[in-house]
Amino acid sequence: MDSFAIHPVNRFAGSSAAIRRPKEIAYFSYDDEHKFHLDERSLRYYYPPRLGADLSKGFNTFQQLNDTADDHLDSLLNTIIDLERRTGTKCTADIITWRGMMTKIMATPFDNMNGFEMNATRFQDSIFIEENHEHKIESKKAQQDQPSRPGAPSQDLMAYWGYKFETLSLMPDQWDPTSRDFIEGREDMVVNNHAQYCSVVKTGIGKAKMVIGGEVDALWDCKPDGKDNPINWVELKTSAEIENDKDNMKYERKLLKFWIQSFLLGVPKIIIGFRSKNGILQRLEELETKNIPTMVKKQGRGTWDGNLCINFTASFLDWLKQTIIGEGVWRIRRRQRSPVVEVFRKEES
Amino acid sequence: MGVPALFRWLSQKYPKIVSQVIEEKPGDIDGQKIPVNMAGPNPNGEEFDNLYLDMNGIVHPCSHPEDRPPPATEEDMMVAIFEYTDRVVNMVRPRKLLMIAVDGVAPRAKMNQQRSRRFRSAQEAKQKDDDKEEFLKLLKSQNGGALHEDATAMAQKKTWDSNAITPGTPFMHTLAESLRYWCAYKVNTDPAWEKVKILLSDASVPGEGEHKIMEFIRSQRSSPEHDPNTRHVIYGLDADLIMLGLATHEPHFRVLREDVFFQESKGRTCHICGQKGHIAEACKGEAKQKEGDFGEKDKALTDKPFIWLHVSVLREYLEVELHVPQQPFRFDLERALDDWVFMCFFVGNDFLPHLPSLDIRENGIDTLIAIWRDNIPLMGSYVTKDGHVDLERAQFILDGLAKQEDAIFRRRRETEQRRDANAKRRKLNEQNQNNGQNSGNGKFGGPGGRRGSPDYSSPSNGGGRGGRAKDPILAPLDMPLFVPGKGPLTKEERTVTHDMVVNRGAVYKANAANKSAAAALKSQLLSGGQPETASDLNNSPAKQEDGEDGPGDVAEDADATTTPVSASKKRKAEMMEDEDAGTPGRDSPVGSGNPVVDPDEPPPDNVRLWEEGYADRYYETKFHVDPKDIAFRNLVAKSYVEGLAWVLLYYFQGCPSWTWYYPYHYAPFAADFVEMDKMKVEFEKGRIFKPYEQLMGVLPAASNHAIPAVFHPLMTDEDSDIRDFYPEDFPVDLNGKKFAWQGVAILPFIDEKRLLDAMATKYPLLTPEEHARNERGKDVLIMSDRHPLYEEIATNFYSKRQGSPKYKLNPSVSEGLAGKVEKNNEYIPQSSLACPLRDGSMPDLEEDHSISVHYEMPRSIHVHKSMLLRGVKFLPPTLDRADIEATRGRANSSGRSFGGA
Ligand SMILES: [Mg+2]
Repeated sequence: MDSFAIHPVNRFAGSSAAIRRPKEIAYFSYDDEHKFHLDERSLRYYYPPRLGADLSKGFNTFQQLNDTADDHLDSLLNTIIDLERRTGTKCTADIITWRGMMTKIMATPFDNMNGFEMNATRFQDSIFIEENHEHKIESKKAQQDQPSRPGAPSQDLMAYWGYKFETLSLMPDQWDPTSRDFIEGREDMVVNNHAQYCSVVKTGIGKAKMVIGGEVDALWDCKPDGKDNPINWVELKTSAEIENDKDNMKYERKLLKFWIQSFLLGVPKIIIGFRSKNGILQRLEELETKNIPTMVKKQGRGTWDGNLCINFTASFLDWLKQTIIGEGVWRIRRRQRSPVVEVFRKEES
Repeated sequence: MGVPALFRWLSQKYPKIVSQVIEEKPGDIDGQKIPVNMAGPNPNGEEFDNLYLDMNGIVHPCSHPEDRPPPATEEDMMVAIFEYTDRVVNMVRPRKLLMIAVDGVAPRAKMNQQRSRRFRSAQEAKQKDDDKEEFLKLLKSQNGGALHEDATAMAQKKTWDSNAITPGTPFMHTLAESLRYWCAYKVNTDPAWEKVKILLSDASVPGEGEHKIMEFIRSQRSSPEHDPNTRHVIYGLDADLIMLGLATHEPHFRVLREDVFFQESKGRTCHICGQKGHIAEACKGEAKQKEGDFGEKDKALTDKPFIWLHVSVLREYLEVELHVPQQPFRFDLERALDDWVFMCFFVGNDFLPHLPSLDIRENGIDTLIAIWRDNIPLMGSYVTKDGHVDLERAQFILDGLAKQEDAIFRRRRETEQRRDANAKRRKLNEQNQNNGQNSGNGKFGGPGGRRGSPDYSSPSNGGGRGGRAKDPILAPLDMPLFVPGKGPLTKEERTVTHDMVVNRGAVYKANAANKSAAAALKSQLLSGGQPETASDLNNSPAKQEDGEDGPGDVAEDADATTTPVSASKKRKAEMMEDEDAGTPGRDSPVGSGNPVVDPDEPPPDNVRLWEEGYADRYYETKFHVDPKDIAFRNLVAKSYVEGLAWVLLYYFQGCPSWTWYYPYHYAPFAADFVEMDKMKVEFEKGRIFKPYEQLMGVLPAASNHAIPAVFHPLMTDEDSDIRDFYPEDFPVDLNGKKFAWQGVAILPFIDEKRLLDAMATKYPLLTPEEHARNERGKDVLIMSDRHPLYEEIATNFYSKRQGSPKYKLNPSVSEGLAGKVEKNNEYIPQSSLACPLRDGSMPDLEEDHSISVHYEMPRSIHVHKSMLLRGVKFLPPTLDRADIEATRGRANSSGRSFGGA
């Protein structure tokens, strides 16, 4: 077993390693029934929701995606294969994975509470990483079994608020062609989280080149004409209204996740819907992704450091490339509060 | 919208919407003019992205200014237009886009008003010319033919016919050429212009200037790349530009205009001889005094300060005012604003006569808003939605007004009577004083001076023969030019003034109103030739404090002692505010000639709105229909409803029909609107008039110099099929008002088919140049070859590998400008820039560093929604707690529960 020391994290401080601006190379959609399509049918556009909207409305009609099955990297790989076929060139990268895996890795220096377990396979020159499905199911269950504070909304309801906020904020088309009736009718729409638009980007941290797939919520304006121009994506988040220091601390920690997620796919803007304790949308805040680390440092308590996350990731991926060098399935694991990330070969193929 | 009083009402009710423009003036070092550096930061402390010029608001005042002599030639006019435009641009310093929009062919609905204005304007011009001729004759006889040539030349010049400011005329052609040149010249010579894109929409592109601007803004909003925080400024003279600003739903929007409250008491020049120090009415035709350096002559106009009207602040006020407590549906400011704009239409717009019971001066808008607030709970939603009227809900508003109509008319009458009584009392007091001073006036004394009571039979002074007696307002020719019993006059006293001769009637009448004519004459002569009325003309601040209304609607409110002279002067300020500034029309006076109204003795009002049965009398007198014919009234109301729907669409979505118009001279009563919910209002887009068709539709025969000669016989020949469209004389119905210019010009409506049929026979006879002027033009985009966009465009159109003929602009390079461009074949890359003005006032440039392409706005097929765009960021509010409380208090105490509705 090999292990990579997380601590002391200070050794990753300083100006950040080279990063390559994420560039969309392909995309796919899941439709309303979560069927896979190699197109952008589930692309959405942002138009702000009405303040005062009740995020709980329609909870009983929520059409929730059942994600108990292990989808592995299927959709991502299908999309890459299609891309290779269309372009006739091989899509090369050191790491190929979902955005979620990279988020966990990148947050490691400042997240002691959540462990992770991933499976990795080397194929030709690329390492493919996916979540260990059993671990995912287990940790989800553990979270659900946690007793919630009396009177507090259930975990399910709070999860619904996030999807409801998206439904309130999204349109299937740009503002001009979208009817007033649609925009104003969004509060009464059934919330359905089956549909997704996933962007597949090429990016890089340090020496590691990566292809990452992940869901993006919406476009701010439209996709640019030139393929090389950055896309004005919008990430939607909800957060409890900040009332005291403790809330503020919690919010700052949340910002770490928000920032990493958006950073990895090149999403420049995050819109946060602040809600009351009982799920009434109070106000919106637009954050520029690139400003968040500075904001946390200068105006917040400085509970995390963006550059440090980048440098940690650069080092870790570099190490990973040298560690995962044989056939078979490898396990990448960090136990809760553990000072190291462990990597070991799970089985020979 | 020709609602002159609107601006005053707005700025009084919502005072914080107005603020002064901080303007950097050109420097002066040893007589060298140092131009304003537009590249420097805006002295107003804020930068602006886009400036839109409603160009007719520059062309009119520059080509026939009211406060100085008109430019000698059309080329001089162009230079004046350049200078004025430069000043406005330097004030705003747009950093991204300058749009210059000249009125093109207007929708038919507007042409009725244009026609009325232009017919009246021609009448007025003719009167002016007659006056000048008369004056010249008189001067000659007076001075034994020795007349200074400056004055002669000035007086001999025909009054420039402002009707030339209509699409399709040679003048407008010259204007378009000149503006294209000037924009290119500025781009070449002013570094700040290198960064700006210039969009020029000349008169060959159909549509009214401000509405072309609106269309452009809507087109940009429909583009996803549009920045919702774009800071817009629109310059123009219309008071309703602020409503257009609201209608864009762009919150960072300002209107820029001259400060009409600023009273320029100095710097006025006589429009007869062009000199300062006296007004036309007192012109003696003396030699020109030497003036200092050049440029001084412009002082009067260029020094007038400008103001901002902040749409954002008006939004703040209306957010409070239009919020109805406990309204049963969600408050939506954007929708409420649209309703507010709609309410304003009832009180005045260019396309419909306003309802008899609604007058801006009687706070008609407040009346409607009170009704609207009362009915919000009953209507269940807003009256309008994205430019469409919900007729069922509109019925609530009209029903509410109908209930008040009788009371409004009665109240109006009471107010008028009170005012008249006060005026009479005042007059009597003055008369008593005067009589004391002027005892022994003999046959010149005594009150009187009314029409029909002239008793002046002194020997003729030998001047000005010519039977003016047929003109009832004019005093007899043989008015004495000396004061009896005072002995010999000094030479100065004896000097004849223009006013005494040509405006005898006015002076006479003016003074007759409060003293005897002889006394008036005496005081005039003693004061060195200045008629007493001059004090009225100067609009001194003290006068204003006196309770006199600011320019714009003074005459309307002026009491009966106001003389026609001062009234006519005041209305000039009003016309400056008019859309068609300076072109008299529905709201403008006819000249001192025909028809003439005596403010002291208006013709009898046969309708008497304050007396029962007024509706019967109204329809009988105005529409000539049987008072029992109620169906007819509803038909008129139906047309009016169509009109309201048309206007709303015009403002919010663009012209719904180029051919629709309101086919009556008068509006119905609120009570005539019935079963609106059953009405179906639909519009057919229709065909846009060609420039010559519009010219033939709006110009009188007297202005035929602006129309190709082949069409002239259609206007004047006895056997022309459409001769009846061009009456030389037409009745003006005072319609309860005091002054002719407030009345309704009764002109026949143009029958489109007859017009086009008649013109069809002449089209083949046009010269190729005339043909070209009749063609529909395109918007032009001009920019420096140093602008980042230049590279893209030049590569696409002029490189070896040429791209498509229409090129879609990339908003990330064009700084958000969306649309397509097309090669402009008139533009030759790397050529020189030739100045179209041949008088040498502006230079040619050897190397032209600008590019010119045709521009096409992105065209959305969707309804433009009255909504804010995502990403709008608001500025900190301007209104404080007290403002908000006051506004809310006023709103809540209006309406039904307080005896309003
Ligand atoms: Mg206009």
